[in-house]
Amino acid sequence: MNIIEVKKLNFSFSRKDNLLIKDLTFSIKKGEIVGVLGQSGSGKSTLLRLISGLEVPSSGEIIIAGNTVVNENVFVQPENRGVGMVFQDYALFPNMTVKDNILFGLSKMNKKDRVLRLNEMLELVKMEEFAKRYPHELSGGQQQRVALARALAPKPNLLLMDEPFSNLDTDLRSSIREELKLILNKANITCIIVTHDRHDVDAICTHSIQMGKVLMEIK
Amino acid sequence: MIPNTVKRYFQKEFNGWVIVSILGAVVILLPILFILSSLLHEPNENWYQIRNYLLSNYVANTIKLVVFSGVFSAILGVSLAWIIAAYDFPLKRFFRWGLVLPLAIPPYIAAYTYRTMLGYTGFVQTTLKNEFNIHIDPELISVSSLRGAIFIFTIFLFPYVFIITRAFLENQSTSYIENARLLGQKPFAVFTKIVLPLSRPAIVGGTVLVIYEVLSDYGVTSYFGVHTITTAIFQTWFGMYDVNTAMRLASWLMVIVVGLFFLERLLRQRRRYNVNNKSRPLTPIKLRGLPSILAFVYCGLIFSLGFLIPIIQLIFWAKLTFFNVWDNSFFLLIYQTLYVALIPTVIIIIFSVIVANICRSQSTFSYILSKWVTAGYSIPGAIIAIGVLAMFISLDKWLAPFYSMVGLGDAPLILSLSLIMLIVGYAIRFMATGYNAIEVGFEKIGTKYAEASRLLGYGITKTFLKVDLPLIKGAILSGAILTFVEICKELPLVLLLRPFNFETLATKAFQFAKDEQIYEASIPSLFIISISVVSIIVFQFVGKKVK
Ligand SMILES: Nc1ncnc2c1ncn2[C@@H]1O[C@H](COP(=O)(O)OP(=O)(O)O)[C@@H](O)[C@H]1O
Ligand SMILES: [Mg+2]
Repeated sequence: MNIIEVKKLNFSFSRKDNLLIKDLTFSIKKGEIVGVLGQSGSGKSTLLRLISGLEVPSSGEIIIAGNTVVNENVFVQPENRGVGMVFQDYALFPNMTVKDNILFGLSKMNKKDRVLRLNEMLELVKMEEFAKRYPHELSGGQQQRVALARALAPKPNLLLMDEPFSNLDTDLRSSIREELKLILNKANITCIIVTHDRHDVDAICTHSIQMGKVLMEIK
Repeated sequence: MIPNTVKRYFQKEFNGWVIVSILGAVVILLPILFILSSLLHEPNENWYQIRNYLLSNYVANTIKLVVFSGVFSAILGVSLAWIIAAYDFPLKRFFRWGLVLPLAIPPYIAAYTYRTMLGYTGFVQTTLKNEFNIHIDPELISVSSLRGAIFIFTIFLFPYVFIITRAFLENQSTSYIENARLLGQKPFAVFTKIVLPLSRPAIVGGTVLVIYEVLSDYGVTSYFGVHTITTAIFQTWFGMYDVNTAMRLASWLMVIVVGLFFLERLLRQRRRYNVNNKSRPLTPIKLRGLPSILAFVYCGLIFSLGFLIPIIQLIFWAKLTFFNVWDNSFFLLIYQTLYVALIPTVIIIIFSVIVANICRSQSTFSYILSKWVTAGYSIPGAIIAIGVLAMFISLDKWLAPFYSMVGLGDAPLILSLSLIMLIVGYAIRFMATGYNAIEVGFEKIGTKYAEASRLLGYGITKTFLKVDLPLIKGAILSGAILTFVEICKELPLVLLLRPFNFETLATKAFQFAKDEQIYEASIPSLFIISISVVSIIVFQFVGKKVK
């Protein structure tokens, strides 16, 4: 079963600009971890924003878990798409503790389930001792794990990760890559990972999509 | 396909927040439309009188005031900004802050203070007479008429230029200035060849704020007997109750304001240097000997004229009359001032938060909307007041059938005699003050937290309450304080829109001064000044953005 189908997606930031994303079509099956590769400025982050509903495509269709979330006639608000995202700079709420950050997306559950899910997530990312800390009291890698836990907690159909390794020290990269792979497999989640490093894709992903072909064709 | 895209766009962007914003924007625009619509009506006899015999004089006076006050404020503001930014001398750190304080004294209060102080029976002339037996022509040092008005505006409004230019020089000009110094330029040449051209956008920006204040003024000019378009608006309304003629005068004033707006654009054009935000602050050079003394004396002189002397004089007068003025009616005055400022402040803050929140997405629509709701600040209070007045009189006419139905009599003036009119006027005029502070707050936190919250399942309203609101609390508070203080100080709008016999600290101080009860005027004046000093402190230490 396809978790996400993208059909003939076109996008530009203004009518004057060339299309940033042109006729993009792909689909991802349940449980797959797909890498999105491309140089800086090729529209990788924009693709994630289109999927999550933070931008509107010029034309084309996106279907998530069988529901059309955007086409010529329909626009489903981001909060109703069942998509989780780990932002490039994590965007952890600075005024909330780790625990409150993770609980944030669980408001629809009852109290008991919420606590269960919170503990499950803390355990998954190995952050149990840090539940009471604030984001600025954590290292970059720890912040990333909290962001991951926060995004996974509401059980999204699809997880989007924007350059998960860009803010981390290079010597940590390979160990964190392994860790991420482990967590994603345990959580059994369908995932799109944006990166500009082919090694990330080789290590974690089932397959990959190349962005920015348009640019090369023009050249 | 296009209708579908539009429909989809509405699905994404249209919500309660947008509806409230658009409704508010319409209310803000209505008074201006009323003013402009006056041009469509056939003008009456009064208007021909004014146009044929008086208007050229009003316009000439207005322009003279604007030009001279603008130029002198710019000279004072820029020279002080440069001295403070580039040099070190005794008490410099104090002056850096202290030279902002003249802004705390509303010009109409400064006007009567100086005129009385320098008048024939005032402190200066009596001292010269009694102590030194010097008799001088009283006219020579009496501050009155056009000259006096220009003096007052310059001394009490130059801080607008000073603040903006100083901030620019201190933070964004370092590399240019240090290079010029290294290339062996003399200090004066650095100033004329580098500092002046470089800080032109800052100077123009500050001077335009001065000019807007001058155009808005009623207190100073009416006290000194200078006839301007603004004072003429007051005369046609209070002398003849002729709204249409007042609106025609207001549209003339609008012409000047719009002209000024384009002039500003023109003067700034192509002058936006790519200054980078991360540049180092300018390191001041230590002055020694004579230059150090001169810098100290210059700053000290302006600080004394702009703050110290009038404050000491006011405190002295206040001591003389304290027990005459300080009674229950004075408490009523304070109470009325506070609540009539508090209600519009709350309205402004709530509306600003709503508009600023939807304007975070950078679209043409949000750009226009944000410019639109903040337009009130560049429109003189008297224009807004006349527009609001005309709007409420029409509203009362329109509601007349309803009034008589509920037994209020035939064609009464209900709304246009109520406080609601004043509150609406304040809200339109000072929307920009609150809005800008809140916009800065939103800019600081960016959109990423809100986006994260949307993806965790919260809609726009819940996201605002749970995520944004706690993060912009500080901006909301400083916006509220600044707005509140501006309203407390305001004079022309409250004079035109207040209900009969309703007094605030500002109107009372003005009234006392007009009636030559100068000593009595000092106590409400000192109150207003203290409130303003609070806002300047907030401004300096919490909020960083000017207006
Ligand atoms: N809000 C925006 N308005 C206009 N252009 C934008 C905006 N955001 C990004 N861009 C431009 O779109 C292009 C693609 O951006 P992005 O999707 O962030 O690329 P990537 O993530 O692949 O580096 C860049 O050239 C960028 O400058
Ligand atoms: Mg990116």
